[in-house]
Amino acid sequence: MTARRRVVITGIGSVSAAGCGGSALVADALARRTPTIAPVKAFALEGCPSRLAAEVDDARLMSLLDPDAVRRLSRICRMAVAACRLAAEDAGLEGGRGLGLTVGSEYGDFRSGAEFFNGFLRRGPAGLSPMIFPNTVMNSMAAVVAIAIGAKAPSITLNQGTVAGDLAVARAAALIAGGRADAVIAGGVDEIFHDVYRGLAALGALSPMGGDGPEGCRPYAPDHNGPVLGEGATFLVLEEMETARRRGASIHAEVLGSAWGGIPVAPHTAPIGRRDAHRTVRRALDQSGVEPASLGRCYGSGNGDPSLDDWEIQLLAADGIRDPVSLAPLFGQHGGLGGLRVAAGALDAREGHGPTLVHGIARGGCRAALVIGRAA
Amino acid sequence: MTRVVVSGLGVISPYGAGAKTFWTGLATGECAIRPLTVIDTEGFRSRIAAEVPADTVAALGVSRRRSRADRIALAAAREALADADLAPGDRVDMALFVGAVGGGMLEGEKWYGEETQSGRPSPRIGALRSILPVSHSETLAWRLGLGGSRETVVMACASGAASIALGADLIRSGATQLVLAGGVDAITRICFMGFNALKLLDPEPCRPFDRGRRGMSIGEAAAFVVLEDADHCRARGARALGELLGAGMTTDAHHVTAPHPEGEGMIRAMADALEASGREPADIGYVNAHGTGTPQNDRVEALALVRVFGEGRVLVSSTKSLVGHTMAAAGSVEAVATLLTLQHGLIPPTANLRDPDPEVPFDCVPGTARPVELQAAISNSFGFGGQNVSLVFGR
Repeated sequence: MTARRRVVITGIGSVSAAGCGGSALVADALARRTPTIAPVKAFALEGCPSRLAAEVDDARLMSLLDPDAVRRLSRICRMAVAACRLAAEDAGLEGGRGLGLTVGSEYGDFRSGAEFFNGFLRRGPAGLSPMIFPNTVMNSMAAVVAIAIGAKAPSITLNQGTVAGDLAVARAAALIAGGRADAVIAGGVDEIFHDVYRGLAALGALSPMGGDGPEGCRPYAPDHNGPVLGEGATFLVLEEMETARRRGASIHAEVLGSAWGGIPVAPHTAPIGRRDAHRTVRRALDQSGVEPASLGRCYGSGNGDPSLDDWEIQLLAADGIRDPVSLAPLFGQHGGLGGLRVAAGALDAREGHGPTLVHGIARGGCRAALVIGRAA
Repeated sequence: MTRVVVSGLGVISPYGAGAKTFWTGLATGECAIRPLTVIDTEGFRSRIAAEVPADTVAALGVSRRRSRADRIALAAAREALADADLAPGDRVDMALFVGAVGGGMLEGEKWYGEETQSGRPSPRIGALRSILPVSHSETLAWRLGLGGSRETVVMACASGAASIALGADLIRSGATQLVLAGGVDAITRICFMGFNALKLLDPEPCRPFDRGRRGMSIGEAAAFVVLEDADHCRARGARALGELLGAGMTTDAHHVTAPHPEGEGMIRAMADALEASGREPADIGYVNAHGTGTPQNDRVEALALVRVFGEGRVLVSSTKSLVGHTMAAAGSVEAVATLLTLQHGLIPPTANLRDPDPEVPFDCVPGTARPVELQAAISNSFGFGGQNVSLVFGR
């Protein structure tokens, strides 16, 4: 390990309900704020208490890929490959020994797991497909992306609810700062799969969470009543600053500080009142040298889950940060949303707005904080 | 540079509960691969595995309402923390890295199977809450009061080793002084059926590095280590059980399930780990190999070992021949095995190795443990997705 290195953001690639593209597409989606949450089209939902989602247009996704080259890839792997390629193109980056990968996901390739298991339920051992099995391991997205883009430094998959994407970006910054990679493509990916959707709805984990209010994603609002699922993949290219400058890369922003922690609370709970003894946000701010008053904006992970929204507001207020902005109504809750939050911060910095705090907190207490600002 | 030592160990293995029980099994060369009981194996090519004994699981003192994987993870983590003899206040900023793949899938499969076959909602739907790997991290952090950074690392069979490498990185970065790192996996139907479908399981207990090897034997376990800033460990008067001298992490970017045919990523992982450790290949006396027993893995790993160390220049053994391939836990199980090997000056044998493969030009310590004075050793873990992690430990 060498002395801490500065980390910049040089590329963005995204596949979401708002479209597929690089930094220009994400900037446009954030500016237009066109709602993408609508009734689920991919599968029927009779008897299900939830009916909304932010779905990716498969035709648009496939237009980015060579159908022959990806015919054996699962849908979630296709999203990850497309978004990572877009990010690499946006940055003008090529693969190699110094390129790493960090992938955050909430549910992984659950579809392949179910498909594999269903083969057994239908036909016993003879129904098991050796082609599908490798997809059931959650690092399958990282595996196919690493091959597609030639990432030979560490490729790390992190499983985490709500903050998977931003946690992966924070992890990537640490890999570069610590010398394990010169560049890392980092972000998150998830897809909507009917068994998971129905299961979460049955558990009361999606809007309207068993209540009688209207279904919808209303983070931090008085009538918030649960998250609405989205899907897609959003990845960023993070690079060691001098390496990026040497190759003449266009730098969107710098990761001025990052920290992640975990408040030890019961799994799946968001107990309002529990403080963060690890001081996650303070650590990220201290690393960046930015005071709360200097922040231009805070992108929060609020997704409409009442307990989680309220806990986040309280935790941020303890650090002097108010009025977080949520992107969940634009894209739905999924592993790529954290990547979109960081991308939004990077685009703000590129436009000359003050440093941005990207904050996330998940049920169960995992917390991530990144300070994104203009590269000096 | 900050030195990272290991100050606590905890293992729940197919031998039973505890690091001492684990070491006794390794040292005596007892093969714990037996007929599989936790799932129905009718109709499968292989019907054996290395299970954590039922009486061990029952006596762990962890609620039966938790998934099998959460139960063994919590017990192993508790042992590691107790072994490190930490003060209660040390846990406030203690980081947690858990390598995992299967999560609570064993219980989730029952829910999913019931719903799919009946077409009606199953009362087991609560299993969905703990089906994901992150369940282990949340459970451990909550029950053990760990308030520092938290990551659930999914890197297939290299997950446990990667957790240790990343945990040490966090200490070296100055972000924390204490990390609980390791891995866990319980046997699941999907895993057992998947490796059967790929024809990667030997119907008999696996024979790594044997000319007649026919595949691996799966297993289950949880193993955790307490990693600590060496100065912090010394200042509190604790004993260091060993030192993590360096770690290498690479990706093949070649094939989803097969290793690079020349072991390119494996070689880089070992070379990076050695460079980070400041040691030369000649300083390494022992390699705890990934050594799965599949024809392809063992052949390629041997190629990589020849490139790094030279033919026959280091002793090699596979503890997977004793406790099976414990999947996401394997890297941490083998890290503990390597630390105990250094501590005891005794190399665990490769079981079932009767006809050494001439393509593996190393002394693979067949059958019986061997006393050897060692200063440093390397533990290799490789996984689906071309993930390679090598850890160099010293006494």
